[in-house]
Amino acid sequence: MSVTLKVRDLSKTYGHGEQAVRAVRNASFSTEPGEFVAVVGPSGSGKTTLLAMVGGLLTPTSGTIEVNGRDIAGLNAGQQAAYRRESVGYVFQANNLLPFLTARENLQMISRITGANGRAARQRADQLLEELGLTNRANAVATELSGGERQRVAIGRALMNDPELVLVDEPTASLDSARGRQVVESLIQEVKSRGKLGLMVTHDMAMAELADRIIEMHDGELNVRGKLAASG
Amino acid sequence: MIGLLEIRRRKFQFALIALIVTLISYLVLMINGLGVGLNDQAGSALRNFDADAIAYSDKAGLSVIRSELSQEQVDRITVETDAKASAPLGYMAANYLKDNGGVESAAFLAFDPGTIAEPKVVDGRMLTEEDADGLLVDKSFLRYSGLDVGDTVTISVRLVERDFRIVGETDEGAFFFQPSVYLLRSTWQELKYGNVDASTPVASIVLLEGKGLAGASGPGWQAVSKSTAFANIEGVSGQQSTVQALRAFGYLIGGLVIGVFFYVLTLQKIGQIGMMKAVGASSFFVFRQVMVQVLCISVAGVAVAIPLTWLTNRAIQQAPNPVPIAFTNGTFITTSVLLVLMAMVGAMFSGRQVAKVDPIIALGQQQ
Repeated sequence: MSVTLKVRDLSKTYGHGEQAVRAVRNASFSTEPGEFVAVVGPSGSGKTTLLAMVGGLLTPTSGTIEVNGRDIAGLNAGQQAAYRRESVGYVFQANNLLPFLTARENLQMISRITGANGRAARQRADQLLEELGLTNRANAVATELSGGERQRVAIGRALMNDPELVLVDEPTASLDSARGRQVVESLIQEVKSRGKLGLMVTHDMAMAELADRIIEMHDGELNVRGKLAASG
Repeated sequence: MIGLLEIRRRKFQFALIALIVTLISYLVLMINGLGVGLNDQAGSALRNFDADAIAYSDKAGLSVIRSELSQEQVDRITVETDAKASAPLGYMAANYLKDNGGVESAAFLAFDPGTIAEPKVVDGRMLTEEDADGLLVDKSFLRYSGLDVGDTVTISVRLVERDFRIVGETDEGAFFFQPSVYLLRSTWQELKYGNVDASTPVASIVLLEGKGLAGASGPGWQAVSKSTAFANIEGVSGQQSTVQALRAFGYLIGGLVIGVFFYVLTLQKIGQIGMMKAVGASSFFVFRQVMVQVLCISVAGVAVAIPLTWLTNRAIQQAPNPVPIAFTNGTFITTSVLLVLMAMVGAMFSGRQVAKVDPIIALGQQQ
């Protein structure tokens, strides 16, 4: 399945009147099927707000977000939760695994939420763990995993519900550069091999270079450009 | 169920909460047991009467102590109520002298053998009309006095001392916070009033068997149900109110403490809750995990408290002068169910907190 994302004149303003902060201003971009896009920019540039709106965690002040032709900008809270459950896979900055669950159970948690837990869910969790090189760590509790392993489990969890979009927030923040690169490469491979659309927020240009395209954000405005020549 | 997995993996943390639930449940169960025990001491003998209603002198204000009935009144009560069965019963408080010279009080209940006022004998034999100096005593009397069936005991009343032989043991309970002792009504008349003539009261109350007798009244008498009679025993209503208040506070504080524990636990897990909601979990899904945990922990806590209370009760009963405490299956079941329910209600505060968690926190600071 090829996934497309079209963002048009998207804005997000926090507060009112003189206190208002325009975190994202009239952002527009679209992606190609199977693309992996990096969003870079300094702290406070609005990149996480953009990710949150695409992921149905924030409601835009104005503009549209079309995922496979469906506008998700006007969804209410319940519809947003269903959208996140069915169409979005998240990899968070701090991986946010449930610390008392094993690697496998953290993946199966997604199936429990969707009400589809069972033998098939376990098989899918095991398959993802195998693809991520974590088969021998499947029964390890999250607190026993290394930083890199935890982030790979988080990638598996993001793919567990077979989402259309995989949204990634600073995935290498807690990793050294070698391990960070390994994680992002494996993330891109997993996303692209499944025909998903990936959107990754990062402040690390070295990681952004691994993406198909880079969107730069500055003071809420974005500048889309192709892959950096330096990335080779 | 994620909530159950969390309990399994965080045994120590949840065991501590379960321990708190156990201690609270133990406290509430003991309060209930003491309440039942006090009630039993107040008048379990009255509750054990084979009667549906009790008739008093209308001047007695439903007090067994003050009620006195003449033969004519007793006869009229029997006729006017058209009761299936009736029996006069006399009451007096008297002392018995112990071997060491000590004095203890007991509630003396006077009956006619063969009537519905006759208590059940669990050891020894029933009094007959010939047993003018015979007594039936409650098992608690034997325990307190150190006497046994067949022994002789000196009864002191109205500056008169008289020896009685214990011919049987009953298990009818207490009356006015004293062990019950049964004797013949004719003997009671002599002991209480001295010289007996036609004007001497023949009974304190009349036990009535039959339906619809509560509320009946006639010239000089009135009948009430056994529960009304019990509630009118001197001191019982005040005691009941105190015990009920203790119970209510026990349930309330128990529910609040458990609720606060889970509320704090929920506050500590806001990041996790945010993540779960970010990946699509509904507030209800997350709240369900909390409620399942509360249910398991409170059931486990209560389940430990029950045998603990039972053992404490046994230890108390074996003491030479046990405090009034009693448990029934009903006490355990009602208290346990109410405690678990109160814990669930207390945990509702966490539900509000769960609903308030914004999933955006999973992304950390907004940029």
